[in-house]
Amino acid sequence: MKPFDIVIVGGGGAGLYAAMEAMKTNPSLNIAVLSKVYPNRSHTSAAQGGANAALANKAKDDTVEMHIFDTIKGSDYLADQDAVDVLCSEAPKIIRELDNIGTPWSRMPDNTIAQRPFGGAGRPRCCYCADKTGHTILQTLYEQCLKKGVIFFNEYFALSLSVKGSRSRGLIAMNMKSGKIEAFPARTVILATGGYAKMYWNRSSNAAGNTGDGQAIAYRAGIPMKDMEFVQFHPTGLRKSGLLVTEGARGEGGYLINKDGERFMARYAKEKMELGPRDLVSRSLETEILEGRGFDSPAGKYLHLDLTHLGADLIKSRLPQIREMSMQFEGVDPIEEPIPVRPTAHYSMGGVDTDNFTRTVMDGVYAAGECGCVSVHGANRLGGNSLLDILVFGRIAGHTAAQEAGKFEPGNISEGELTAQYDDIRSFMHSSGHYERYGELREELGQTLGTNVGIFREASLLKKGIQDIAELKERFKKVRVFDTSDVFNTNLMQVLELRNMLDLAETVAAGAYAREESRGSHTRTDFPVRDDAKWHKHTLATQVNGKLALSEKSVTMGRYELQERTY
Amino acid sequence: MTVPTDQHKELKKDVTFRIFRFNPQVDSKPYFDDYTIPVERGITVLRSLNYIKEHIDASISFRAFCQAGICGSCGMRINGLSQLACTTQVWDVLVKSKEPGVIKVEPLRNLPLIKDLIVDMDPLVGKMKHYSNWIESTMPESSMGKKEFLVSEEEFLRYDKATDCILCASCVSECSILRANKEYVSPAVLLKSYRMNADSRDALHEQRLAELVKDHGVWDCTHCYRCQETCVKSIPIMDAIHGIREDAIENRGMKDTSGSKHAEAFMTDIAKKGKLVEATLPIRTNGVIWTLQNLVPMAAKMIMKRRTPPPPPLVKSAKGIKTFREMFKEMTEHVKQDHKSHKK
Repeated sequence: MKPFDIVIVGGGGAGLYAAMEAMKTNPSLNIAVLSKVYPNRSHTSAAQGGANAALANKAKDDTVEMHIFDTIKGSDYLADQDAVDVLCSEAPKIIRELDNIGTPWSRMPDNTIAQRPFGGAGRPRCCYCADKTGHTILQTLYEQCLKKGVIFFNEYFALSLSVKGSRSRGLIAMNMKSGKIEAFPARTVILATGGYAKMYWNRSSNAAGNTGDGQAIAYRAGIPMKDMEFVQFHPTGLRKSGLLVTEGARGEGGYLINKDGERFMARYAKEKMELGPRDLVSRSLETEILEGRGFDSPAGKYLHLDLTHLGADLIKSRLPQIREMSMQFEGVDPIEEPIPVRPTAHYSMGGVDTDNFTRTVMDGVYAAGECGCVSVHGANRLGGNSLLDILVFGRIAGHTAAQEAGKFEPGNISEGELTAQYDDIRSFMHSSGHYERYGELREELGQTLGTNVGIFREASLLKKGIQDIAELKERFKKVRVFDTSDVFNTNLMQVLELRNMLDLAETVAAGAYAREESRGSHTRTDFPVRDDAKWHKHTLATQVNGKLALSEKSVTMGRYELQERTY
Repeated sequence: MTVPTDQHKELKKDVTFRIFRFNPQVDSKPYFDDYTIPVERGITVLRSLNYIKEHIDASISFRAFCQAGICGSCGMRINGLSQLACTTQVWDVLVKSKEPGVIKVEPLRNLPLIKDLIVDMDPLVGKMKHYSNWIESTMPESSMGKKEFLVSEEEFLRYDKATDCILCASCVSECSILRANKEYVSPAVLLKSYRMNADSRDALHEQRLAELVKDHGVWDCTHCYRCQETCVKSIPIMDAIHGIREDAIENRGMKDTSGSKHAEAFMTDIAKKGKLVEATLPIRTNGVIWTLQNLVPMAAKMIMKRRTPPPPPLVKSAKGIKTFREMFKEMTEHVKQDHKSHKK
């Protein structure tokens, strides 16, 4: 195959923006987007609430500076301040650009882009399209990529980077439709595969495929992972499925109620109430449940998200998806009765360690969006900043790779490398010595992570978690792929996804065990306070000779000094 | 009042899933496999399929991703109707089972089969490209990002519902035209085209419309409403199709294609007689030569085989035609007024 200038892995918001921007930067480049699903299926579509930008359409006194401060404070001061600068300064431009290419934003009475209040933000600056913002952004980007003639390799599962010395020669992937292992020799590779929070399995709001494929590929290639222990739990997942009820529901005025009928957020965030930052609200819900003020059901304990006082009109016009989901997955119409909710693993702040230009330590390899970690979210991401992150840094990745592609010679990926991968994969199909069922391992991984590496953490639990993960990794060696066919082998794909989740779970648990403090989403009951003297730094997890090694990286400071974080 | 605990007990029953199987590497033709599992109330078809895949037969192949009704991956036919497996409750479809306790699961129609419940989506993507299903911005690329377009709430509402489409292809699967003609544009692509054409930021309106009125385009729809009835997002797809047609007539006149001529012939007949003059309808729609070549031989054959009565030579006006003509005139005036005020 003719070598590519840029191979983008992942067709969500970050990947598609990267493709669009790269073609804009240099139309003569040979660019491909690989995705394990059709790009319009990507998990970007699930983002309901919106994207933050200080457009000042709603609050005329909003500024980029305020957005920066909110983000840094929200991150519990673990975000790199120069990176946050980039994120927030680029925000208005990127939202306008999306408008210019056809994103159907909801509108204000003066016909400008509508904005709503969101958790942890000092001003209403979250730009939205009803409660389908991510979906409409993804559609718009996909449409524009089709228009620009981007070459898509849909339903290709990325297996590994082909590495020689300190640089990548391209990517190796499996064509799901044929089962063939194919080489994508490339000057540059952009990893944009989304997050890894699905490792919490049934206690996760994520799509089944958010298994951290890009991070795992990078990790196995020796690229460091950053701040992996920071996993955000969204306060309001549906009780039975973990599926998400957008923060927009609280932004529009929804109440959180315990079984005594109290608006219990008054105890935890007097001023912001339900619109406190996510980590705080999640901990509040978990505390209510642990202290016996939750409702009881066979599907577990839960609390109420009450929208009934908002009225049928508002719910139907602003939160139609939420209403539909509540009815489909809980049998509850939010116009009539409160929605049963509990916290659910939702977002991975950690990811592939990159600089502000999305470069990793490996020449020619970039990472963007939830897959990468610049870091702009630090220990806790604010609602409305994740869509923004994938757009801003997806764009930067596309631009940077397009400018730097010429610096790197395309590599050659040998037949032998492909055969080795194929043999490796086929070995799961051998009947002798392979008997473990992936479904069970996956379920157990989710359980141990939820219990031992969940919202409230402590040394003994984390030790248990680390041990469980190690045992699961051992058992994985004996996992069996029962479907032996080449064509669209989803059994095989799910097993490979499990391998990725297991590799990353180890880094999450190890990071959480090492970090003896509480910061943002990471709460240690045995170390309940933030310890800036010891832990105001990033954690790096690197695979060295097949073993996990932890190290540190300092946080880039700027205008804002460390402060206590209260709401 | 305390709730008795057994009120929480979920009801459970055995359900058989009759699943369409086809692996192109081994099977010469498709077949069905039965899997019987206990299913609680409140469980979706997708969760049942996941259970079967994890516990009974790992080789069953289907797509699933978000499992929350937003990504559109798991479109399939459940008891004969195309829908999303992730938002379909087992107990709801059980009521519609032909054989009690059995749910039939098949792949979507009108798209090439790959394996089991997986079909190829490429033809749909190809059509999206063919009909330019994107906004060609009126703003030059170099000025982008500097200022927003001002868009009224009224305009937003015109395409708001259409942007709900998740391209699950349920409408494609149910479309009766596509069953006969794979080249047909498809309801989903018409919906997207409508959405683009209704957007004031778009500069491609004329060009897109010109493509839509060609063969296999918007005039091929026969208003069976299957797309709209099946849409998993309850989008009024037929409104979009009618919208494109009205737009085409208004912008391109009535003589554009056989479809618009057909519509015009209907209007003339109704205005004049209060009913259709079927015998001359093909001539007015497709012309004398086409009718002689394509329709007359078949019509003659059908008449001979008594499949259809010979057309009556003269069509009398319907009863009460005078009153009707007045009503018709008034109605046409109303529609014209409506169009004018809509444009403002």
